[in-house]
Amino acid sequence: MTTAAEPYVLNIGPQHPSTHGVFRLRVVMDGERIQDIDMVVGYLHRSMEKLAEERTYTQNIPFTDRTDYLAAMSNNLGYCLAVERLAGVEVPERAQFLRVIFAELQRLASHSMANGTFINDAGAWQTPLMYMFREREKILDLFEMTCGARLTTNYMRIGGVSFDPPPEFYPAVEALIGELPERIAEYTELLVDNEILIARARGVGVLSAADAINGSITGPMLRASGVPWDLRKADPYCAYEKFDFEIPVGQNGDCYDRFMVRLEEMRQSVRIIRQALDGLPSGSHKTEIPLALRPAPGEAYARVEGPRGELGFYVVSDGGPAPARFHIRAPSLINLSLLRQMAVGASLPDAIVALGSTDIVVGEIDR
Amino acid sequence: MTSIGIAIGFYALAGLAIGSSLLVFLTRNLLHAVIFAILAFIGMAGLFVTLSADFLAVSQIMIYAGAISVLLVFAVMLTPYASRDNGNSLFAPAGVLVGLGFAALIGFIATQVAWPAFTGGDLEAQNFTGTVRTIGSALLGDYALPFELASVLLLAALVGAIALVREDER
Amino acid sequence: MRAALDPIRIRVPMSTGGMIASAITLVVLLGAAAGVGFLVLSGALDGRWYDFRDLGVGMAHLTEWLDEQNAGQSEATRALLGDHWMSWITSALIGGIGILSFVGGVLLILIWVERRLIARIQVRRGPNRLGPYGLLQPLADAIKLIQKEVLIPEGADRFLFFLPPILVFIPGLLVWGPVPWAPNMAYLDLNVGVLYLIAISSLATVAIFIAGWSSNNHYALLGAMRTVAMMISYEIPLGMALISVVLLAGSMQLSEIVAWQAQHYAWMAFLIPFSLFTFFFASTAELNRTPNDIAEAESEIVAGFHTEYSGMKFGLFYAVELGNAVAVAAFVTAFFLGGWSLFGLELFIPGYIIFATKVAAGYFVLVWLRGTLPRFRLDQLMAFAWKYLIPITIAHTTLVAAEVTAMGALALPGVIELGVVAAVNLAFTVWVMRRWARFLGYRPETERVMQPKLTTQVGGLQAAERMRASS
Repeated sequence: MTTAAEPYVLNIGPQHPSTHGVFRLRVVMDGERIQDIDMVVGYLHRSMEKLAEERTYTQNIPFTDRTDYLAAMSNNLGYCLAVERLAGVEVPERAQFLRVIFAELQRLASHSMANGTFINDAGAWQTPLMYMFREREKILDLFEMTCGARLTTNYMRIGGVSFDPPPEFYPAVEALIGELPERIAEYTELLVDNEILIARARGVGVLSAADAINGSITGPMLRASGVPWDLRKADPYCAYEKFDFEIPVGQNGDCYDRFMVRLEEMRQSVRIIRQALDGLPSGSHKTEIPLALRPAPGEAYARVEGPRGELGFYVVSDGGPAPARFHIRAPSLINLSLLRQMAVGASLPDAIVALGSTDIVVGEIDR
Repeated sequence: MTSIGIAIGFYALAGLAIGSSLLVFLTRNLLHAVIFAILAFIGMAGLFVTLSADFLAVSQIMIYAGAISVLLVFAVMLTPYASRDNGNSLFAPAGVLVGLGFAALIGFIATQVAWPAFTGGDLEAQNFTGTVRTIGSALLGDYALPFELASVLLLAALVGAIALVREDER
Repeated sequence: MRAALDPIRIRVPMSTGGMIASAITLVVLLGAAAGVGFLVLSGALDGRWYDFRDLGVGMAHLTEWLDEQNAGQSEATRALLGDHWMSWITSALIGGIGILSFVGGVLLILIWVERRLIARIQVRRGPNRLGPYGLLQPLADAIKLIQKEVLIPEGADRFLFFLPPILVFIPGLLVWGPVPWAPNMAYLDLNVGVLYLIAISSLATVAIFIAGWSSNNHYALLGAMRTVAMMISYEIPLGMALISVVLLAGSMQLSEIVAWQAQHYAWMAFLIPFSLFTFFFASTAELNRTPNDIAEAESEIVAGFHTEYSGMKFGLFYAVELGNAVAVAAFVTAFFLGGWSLFGLELFIPGYIIFATKVAAGYFVLVWLRGTLPRFRLDQLMAFAWKYLIPITIAHTTLVAAEVTAMGALALPGVIELGVVAAVNLAFTVWVMRRWARFLGYRPETERVMQPKLTTQVGGLQAAERMRASS
């Protein structure tokens, strides 16, 4: 007697503890093997790009906070760079250094969250997440001290930053980067040689260098696959060429390497912040620009190395106070497109771990 | 029955065993039938306890109620035409006849064979502490051959089951 | 600013009132200990009904007294009801009510303990709003769960949906019977106690499967199948680990096993460490706790077999899981950690307090594991059970059987025998575990973490090739 087996469809999400947001994954499974996955996005679409066409350039900065809500500073920075390129606005040096400090602090916070939730997906009941949240809380306190908000910071302005950090900011950030290396060492000790984590994440979700480049992957995922590409070195923006840091490159392209690359990037961020603080010049923190900035007609594209990858902003001006077209190149969406390749043929827990290692933020995917 | 307690216990357990067994083929839903079968197994284990067969009772629970019930549930789940219905079938009259015949056979054996009778007093006089040692030495002494044959049979069943469900490695 | 940035350095403020109170408590405790020591040493407690070190002695006196009352009854009553009906009914009532209230109380307290402990491991506080130190949290949880709407998914079989929480609670209650709290304090001291424990814990398997099946839900069925596969795989190493204990102690009766450990001043943990490890690990699989909680992996299949259960039904599953964790801690204590014995100190400290302390320590280890380790994948778990644990357990059991036979044949002093056994077993454990893992393909040196390389040159595919070639 032959028994027939037919694949069944499992629906993960949109409400699910581990899809990192409202994001739906239809998985066609044969027993425990995945045959096909189908990603349904759009649950968080807020039509920001269209709304931006009705608002002035400065009024659009809060929109960029809310796309990638875990890396608001990087979003702000990219957008301001694009508009500055479009309008030809000069940024004072103090503002550039401040921008670097806050972008790297944001990278630290975002990578803490990314690594924490990745290990949460691997099953460790939020303990490493809680440990990494200690630092993130302190960083968010610093943000609140400077610009009044923890998550949606709205800090950068076209021509600089909005506020000069208050005097109590500097000792606080010194204390933070003083204790961060030992905290990162603590995580390393707890997690890096952990047999269970190695068993769960080694060899899972492997992407070769060629696959990654062909799929337009950027960010820690690309670097974990072995390609040494970082926009802060390749296309330096905003005073990054003045700092001395290295970029970590993985070897296997699996989830474990992505985790290690993010951990190492946290260490490098601490280095950059240290150098920026030491060399912080005095001066004004922003250039004055008109209230309704009307750049000359044209287009500009600026890209920054966000915590998730290449975050690009494409702004088109037609001479009016509002942009004619505003588009965000969201790294999460493009990194996600290779999930299918990573997950098909694997089992469901492996697919979840692979999804965790892509570090997506659905706000960015759907905009 | 040396006391009313033991009498109550025996009748309750016997009622449980017989009643659950009856319900096994009287319920419509096959999975309910499995639940009643588990109850019947537990009743049997209780009856073993009243006969001071401690090892048998606990093994009955461990093997039947613990493992074979899972097997039964899997079997019900995977049977294609079960349709979760234990309803009328053409086999009902034949089944009742076979059942009655079987009951007559077992009743004949139970009543006509001269079973050696032990009471609690007899066991106490022999300093009875438990059946485990006796069963153990019997299994490895007098009954070693059937014991080994049984394990070989189980091994054959295990290997056969795995061979049946293995997918072709491509 | 400094204090706000350092939430980890927690200092417990000790006011003078607090210090005086602690000092007074300490003095009172020392006085009580001295009093107890004097009483014990003067022999004033042995065999009396007020021997608080072992409540079983009091129970024995009560039973004797009741039997005397029984003998004074009329012939007709005695013929009808038997010679011991008063003591039997009394001991049944006391034992039943005792176990029920103990388990109920433990389940309530455990919710609080587990949440606070896990919170502490995760650098947070845990429940601290309801009542002092959050102690009323379990009560609030219970009330919340009881007043929830009873939801039955459409298409679910009502009878089969209601049954599993009950079916899971019954073993959770029954399994506390044989536990020996003190030399005379095991309520259900079966002579096949070990087998009884294995049998009762295997009853939970079918309950979980029916829970998953009757929910009419993909996630639940996936979870139920995973759970059942895992539980029946790990029943074998569990049982075989206990066989070594039974071989050494010579009996399946739990009180005998503990008495053997007390008599030889040797805990089974020293003699057969591999069995302790196997029993502990297999128990976490039976309990569905991290690192083996793939069946209710919250991040993957929402909640496994109890996805569709809400309200008190879910409350029962959750509570029973915690209660079983403490039961496993109790078994580890009884089998491997010497139970109520503490190298002679059980003369002064009541046996049940020693037992309870060890159980608390075992439970703490279980919660510690849960808070720290990620979870294994199901196929890794199964491979571990079948390919790794079972062959080694078989070899270990053979070794222990050989040792027991040798000990019976040669009549050396106990210390030498047990010392040799402990040394041989430890050597065996360490050597076999590594060799067998290597044989199965575990190569730690190739799997060691390859740190990411640091570079300052950027590039594309060719740079990647160059970097890989240069390593």
